[in-house]
Amino acid sequence: MSEETVTDRIDAARAVLTPIQAATGLTFAAGIAFVLVFLQDPLAHDAMHNFRHAAGITCH
Amino acid sequence: MLYDYLRRGVQAGVIAGLAYGLFMAFVANPLSEYLHHAQHDHGHDHGHGHDHAHAVSETTTAIVSVGSGVLWAIFLGGVFAIALYFLEPALPGRGTGSAFVLAGAGFLTVSATPWLVLPPAAPGAEQLYTVELRLAIYVGLVALGALVSAAAIGSYGWVASRHRALGIVAATVPIVATAVVLSTVAPTIVSHPELAGELVSAYQAMAALSQAAIWGILAASVSWLERRETTSTAGVVGPNDRRSTSP
Repeated sequence: MSEETVTDRIDAARAVLTPIQAATGLTFAAGIAFVLVFLQDPLAHDAMHNFRHAAGITCH
Repeated sequence: MLYDYLRRGVQAGVIAGLAYGLFMAFVANPLSEYLHHAQHDHGHDHGHGHDHAHAVSETTTAIVSVGSGVLWAIFLGGVFAIALYFLEPALPGRGTGSAFVLAGAGFLTVSATPWLVLPPAAPGAEQLYTVELRLAIYVGLVALGALVSAAAIGSYGWVASRHRALGIVAATVPIVATAVVLSTVAPTIVSHPELAGELVSAYQAMAALSQAAIWGILAASVSWLERRETTSTAGVVGPNDRRSTSP
């Protein structure tokens, strides 16, 4: 356990994940991040207004 | 094993999300609405050219903001858990210790470093730059924050092998250096012409403390969930014991 390295963890992840699954997970995470942090559409912007201010996320 | 980490991360995200959602509902929402109104009642004209008739009602804003807060915590929990899975062997400390180190790095990367240039803005802030430019700066600063975190953890590991206390000092060097350089070099790009300075400071402190709290709750919850799972499977030695099967 203590001798485990980052490379071991990457290999272990490779063994259980297909590239498609990894890509799906990344896309999903990027989608959430985009909507919460980057989306500037007026409807989305106004609806999340208080959250973005309170979380210190740049907007307007 | 990756899935166990991700599941615990999302569970921890739900715990942190409940706390942060309540915070949004009872503190951040009313305060933001109040600041918004206080400035509009002054006959305030948004200097940045989008004196919008609001696209949605205040109730919608309040509800969506609470939901976004919950989703934000779950998102951070998922990212945190995946990062913990891959980076755990390289982090100082065991178990809970390494989780808190990574949580600190996450806060430094996602929030603290970008805030040195783009500080949290209270409603009604006047921004010097366009939103596109600021988002680009934000992305760059997240990358810088990740580098600073890696440098801090790296210098800790390098020095702590000889002297543990000096290692902690070494870890603060990249962080303090970045904070000093960025806060002196960066121009002031956000101003609050109609709000008292104390109020703006309080709003920024609220943002900083609440984000730090999310990371703290995530690290504590993930460690708690992991401990709970290992003790509940401790009597069953065999394929269910994660530690005996992990590579």
